[in-house]
Amino acid sequence: MVESLLAPLFSAMGRVLPFGFAEPLFMKRAILAMLLVAPAAAAVGVPLVHFRMAFFSDAIGHSAFTGVAIGVLLGVHPLLTMVAFGLFVAWAITLVKGRTELSPDTVIGVFFSTVIALGIAIISAQKGLTRNLQAYLYGDLLAVSETEILWMAVLFLSVGAYLFLTFNKIMLLGVHEGFAKSMGIPVRALEISFALVVALVVSTAIRAVGILLVTALLVVPAAAARNVARGAVSAFWAAVAIAVISGLSGIAASYYLDTATGATVVLFAAAFFAATALLRGIRGKH
Amino acid sequence: MTPTTFHHTLEIRDLTVRAGGTEILSGVNADLRCGEVTALVGPNGAGKTTLLLAILRLVPFTGEIRFCRAAEHGKGAPRIGYVPQRLDFDRNAPMTVLDFFALSSQRYPVIFGHSARSRRSAKESLAHGGASHLISRPLGKLSGGELQRVLLALALRDNPDILLLDEPVSGVDLSGEELFFDFLGQIHSESRFSLLLVSHDLSVVSRHADRVICLNRRVVCQGATTETLTPENIAAMYGSGAHLFSHGPAGGHGRLHGPSPPRRAGGKED
Repeated sequence: MVESLLAPLFSAMGRVLPFGFAEPLFMKRAILAMLLVAPAAAAVGVPLVHFRMAFFSDAIGHSAFTGVAIGVLLGVHPLLTMVAFGLFVAWAITLVKGRTELSPDTVIGVFFSTVIALGIAIISAQKGLTRNLQAYLYGDLLAVSETEILWMAVLFLSVGAYLFLTFNKIMLLGVHEGFAKSMGIPVRALEISFALVVALVVSTAIRAVGILLVTALLVVPAAAARNVARGAVSAFWAAVAIAVISGLSGIAASYYLDTATGATVVLFAAAFFAATALLRGIRGKH
Repeated sequence: MTPTTFHHTLEIRDLTVRAGGTEILSGVNADLRCGEVTALVGPNGAGKTTLLLAILRLVPFTGEIRFCRAAEHGKGAPRIGYVPQRLDFDRNAPMTVLDFFALSSQRYPVIFGHSARSRRSAKESLAHGGASHLISRPLGKLSGGELQRVLLALALRDNPDILLLDEPVSGVDLSGEELFFDFLGQIHSESRFSLLLVSHDLSVVSRHADRVICLNRRVVCQGATTETLTPENIAAMYGSGAHLFSHGPAGGHGRLHGPSPPRRAGGKED
């Protein structure tokens, strides 16, 4: 059923992208997955950077490591436990952060190491699990299944809907919490919902670029965009465009260079960051 | 003094705020009178900002904060405008002043552009605040004085019943400070909101406030400005002796007297 849904899309892609790298079916799947994940990650990345939550996103990414281990331990599909565990860690960090006077990065640091320790403990007790983890550590975009593509499409639409409803409120909250509250914004509910959305995007994007690089997919396009953008409109769309272009160029280059897809995509995004930083330097201060 | 003739917009009863096992505010009783300027003064760490945060319901507290609206102001919760002491945001954030206004005035995300209505209301508010020229500047590149103007214009946009100003002139130079208070006085005489003004600077307070609440974790004293700011009360509030009023170097308290002594940059409030 899934195949019949995507078949016409793949034949259309054949016409739009008449290049050697886009010919094999696994490459078409990879491109489609990237076209869904990269803009969603970049779109969430814009408020994420505004919120200075890059470290949070990194912690959620690394919790996926433990989520996968738990899945294998329980005999459940690792993708399910990875997403569920990511959501749990995001919720727990947000809850603890709101109830302690410790700085956010301290709270996240504690969770980060605890979660990784738990993952390593499980893995060391379970022989033969290491091979299973490779795909999650480095990403495995070329092996993405069509069911996963559908899940990515659902995520893409959900993130779009969520941001449509909350983008303005999230950006105000990022400027000043009390100020946002005085404007009638439900601060706590927004913080928790945004943390959960970040966790969803991060655990999905891990399929594309891997645990080690997932934060880059959220943070680097947004960071590159703010090098050149003055206002919110250009910053957002520049981030999305940079993510999509890096995603497609990375897939193409990795096909010809025989490099890891996720890493190549991130390198392209990093090149955008370097170029925009230079441009900013040439233009001087705004 | 005949308090019964005044309508209270805000009544605080037995307000206590605890954090990490210590009481930041204990048993605070205070009123805000309708249409008046009330100054909240006290030393660093006295809990002034915390009191504002409690009024905004941003920190948990015990006790009561009651909002009372006069019949002529209509029903429902009062609108509270708030200008924070410092905006702790990323100065490189790609956000223009217009973006900032539109964030709170239009339903669809600003990434799809600004609605005609939010653009118009931003222009009007900024013009009213004498800050029209700032509309397309990045928010993070404004000077301290410009940022305060923009924040004040935004806080006033929705005609608040109560305006909370937390150290509005920290990070603003002396002439900017005078301009700010002149402007504030003019706006206040036009729209008569109740103003709660947090300030370190007793000379500012004595010039602009009708009433004063002296806070040092509890209310030390409150009342009409001239009757309340007595040497005894000030000494009680700041917890030190008469050396506060000697001229010359008097530590951090030297700024308590005289015409607006230079303030420390980035003075931190808990």
